Amino acid sequence: MNPPPLPTSDSIRGWANPVFRRYCRSRLRPAGLGIALLIALLIAGFIFALTASLGSRFNNLDPADAARGAIIPLLVLQALILFILGTAQVSGGMTAETDEGVIDYQRLIPMPPLAKVLGYLFGLPVREYAMVLVTLPFSAWSLWKGHVSFQIWAPLYAVFFTTAITYHMTGLVTGTVVKNRRWAFLISIGLVFCLYTVIPQIARFGLVFFKYLTITPVFEESLPGLLPKTAGAIVATGQRLAPEVKFFGLAFPEVVFTIFCQGGLILIFLVMLCRRWRRTESLLLGKLGATSFFIWVQMLLLGNALPLIEPGNLFPSREFARRVFDAGNWAPTAVEAVGMSGLYGVVTLIFLFIITKIITPAPEIQIRGWRRVRKEGGSSLPLLSDAATAFPWIAVMALAGAVGWFVFTQALVESRWFPGHLVPLSVFGFFALTLLSAGLGFHALLEAKGGRTVGLTVIFIGIVPLMIGAVMGTSDNRLFAASSWIIGISPLSMPSYATSTLLSLSELPENLARSVPRAFYFWLAVSAIVTVWLVLRLRAARKTIAERSDR
Amino acid sequence: MPITPAIDIRDLRVDYGNFVAVNDLTLSVPPGEVFGLVGPNGAGKTSTFRVLTTLMEPTYGEVNLCGVDILSDIESARRIVGYMPDLAPVPSDLKVWEFLEFHAAAYAIGSRAARRDRVAECLEEVGLTGQRESWCKALSRGQTQRVVLAKTLLHRPSVLILDEPASGLDPLARRDLRQALRKLAATGATVFVSSHILSELAEMCTSLCVMNRGKLLASGTAEQVREQMGSHKRTLTVTVLAHHQEAATWLETQASVHRLQLAEQQVSFEFTGNDEAQADLMEGLIQQGIRLRAFEEKRSSFEDILIEVAETNRRS
Repeated sequence: MNPPPLPTSDSIRGWANPVFRRYCRSRLRPAGLGIALLIALLIAGFIFALTASLGSRFNNLDPADAARGAIIPLLVLQALILFILGTAQVSGGMTAETDEGVIDYQRLIPMPPLAKVLGYLFGLPVREYAMVLVTLPFSAWSLWKGHVSFQIWAPLYAVFFTTAITYHMTGLVTGTVVKNRRWAFLISIGLVFCLYTVIPQIARFGLVFFKYLTITPVFEESLPGLLPKTAGAIVATGQRLAPEVKFFGLAFPEVVFTIFCQGGLILIFLVMLCRRWRRTESLLLGKLGATSFFIWVQMLLLGNALPLIEPGNLFPSREFARRVFDAGNWAPTAVEAVGMSGLYGVVTLIFLFIITKIITPAPEIQIRGWRRVRKEGGSSLPLLSDAATAFPWIAVMALAGAVGWFVFTQALVESRWFPGHLVPLSVFGFFALTLLSAGLGFHALLEAKGGRTVGLTVIFIGIVPLMIGAVMGTSDNRLFAASSWIIGISPLSMPSYATSTLLSLSELPENLARSVPRAFYFWLAVSAIVTVWLVLRLRAARKTIAERSDR
Repeated sequence: MPITPAIDIRDLRVDYGNFVAVNDLTLSVPPGEVFGLVGPNGAGKTSTFRVLTTLMEPTYGEVNLCGVDILSDIESARRIVGYMPDLAPVPSDLKVWEFLEFHAAAYAIGSRAARRDRVAECLEEVGLTGQRESWCKALSRGQTQRVVLAKTLLHRPSVLILDEPASGLDPLARRDLRQALRKLAATGATVFVSSHILSELAEMCTSLCVMNRGKLLASGTAEQVREQMGSHKRTLTVTVLAHHQEAATWLETQASVHRLQLAEQQVSFEFTGNDEAQADLMEGLIQQGIRLRAFEEKRSSFEDILIEVAETNRRS
């Protein structure tokens, strides 16, 4: 009995990839595809015809400008098809495989995990690609007739494609992790929605990196060339004041940097999916990979933000000033800087929580790991194995996050905008303590008690105090102090409290000037003590697990 | 030169939290065997199969398929093995030939024409040539089982792992399945099969093993397994022309006779001795002057053995 040779990498790429071909078969059947293409054609044709007729007849535009009018609406249509429908299809399709039970067959196929991931990535949304394809002639015609140069539309469509891949990868990861088809669909759509609504707002407050996960920066850069000439010229004038992409001391074109950021995220998603395809029980990321990813994101956050501080482009009020009044006399406020530093801390903390959730092993993984080690005659779990505790790695990430946060804060506060203010090294100690206590406490609870306990803790310690405090604070001015104490219970408020307390340029209102610092020091001490207690409990829990694994 | 076992499992352990599904299982199956795996629910059969098919990483243990270590060389192991799960699912959006063609391509079976021929061959083997163009979702349970069996056979695996392959099949299809498995074994492939229809498994398999609570209780030929499971115990019924009371009195004095029951001219009892002791017992009765009209022996079936195992589980 001679089994057939293992498929080579060449035979499973591109059109020859069996997973891709399988979805081409099922999703490109004439009946379903015909209707989808008809709808796409009708909408694209309608947009094209309407904008052309509106432009030439009512706005008296010349033919080139009239043709340009259709480019952006068509791009929006293409984005809706590929970003929303495509992502939903990818996550839903992936969950459907698990739901129907056929995923095991695919696991057994002797193809490298990467080939399987690529097959799904391009196979599942193949109908959506076809729909976009039929709208492209309209775009091509508009670009050609509108005399839009290659240098403008080529980068735009390149980033359009990488953005679609990024979102589809998000959908694949969601579909692999989430077991319920409806939830997978909703979560992936929700993520894409957040990327275009919530994340750009964060980007406005100093965390510029996040906007490069969308098509927006490249789209904005291309805008003057896509709009009718008069409107384009106005936008171009505005853009001359806009910041260019700087990364530490380097300058990049928007398109290159966007592809670089999205490429990193795609790579991480690939690693996650390949790990899962290789072993179903694997954690999504290994310890080293997760820590590297965390540090990489910190580097991107800092690399984007730091060069924008001195020219003032990082501050949200600068943009506001540009739009509303003469920006000549503009200067950032201290509150703004303190708020941005706090937001950096909050985002770092949330990111730390997410990574902690990914790399913390469940008790059953630990038990299996211990039994394997014992069988092999070992006495401790390998540091990088899934079963090993994530404790040291989370400590490293918390410290790396604190370094990033401190560097960002120091650059802000000690910039030319706030003369005379310094950030002493002791602030780093408090930042580190804030992230270490929250991160390690979260980890210890998760590893020792499991996801359900953590979920309840997040609700009752992380979110409810914020809600109660907010309601109290807004209902009566006399309750301001009490509300600040209650809000301080939540670890999510800690970074903001830290910056409000520790930075010399902090200008807290009179009714909060005493309560916030006191609440910060008190809750930080409580949080540190609770974390030490939780860590001791975790040690005991791990010891119990190690002993239990002897049986 | 020693023959490399088709399936070689050493100290295999599978845990789900605190529950031990497979407990230090050691088992070796030579090539060309149709090997049956028997056990009540929760015995560890499916976990063993999932490890063998690389779908699950064991807690520890070594598993080799045709000399390939499946834990370190997953992709080579996947070329060797063909797996048909219990209540095998099929995709709802593909036709039968498309489903099979996809797997043929994924296993890199030659050219397009070669794949088409192989698909046709496998469909014929499972008696579904007429359903080539049908949608997978439109098939009956039995037909679905057969399509998945065809898929499993596509790449001519050296080791076939079939979890309850006969469930949902009509008697005719079961007979065909038995024949197909034997044919496969004759070509050198090893078939590892589990079933709840134990008498059928005994008929189908050249050897088998019994698992309970993750442990291997017995393995070998059907007869050897019976012996190992303590099923040398048998029920004997003696029908006499007269003097059945005397016969009963004499039998009661014999050490290997238990649970004696009397009916009209008939004495039934459990006998725990071996075949020679049984012959001596008959001779003894005749020497006692008892005229025997009939002598019936009833041995424990596989079902009896497993029911006993399951009952013991339930009680404990």
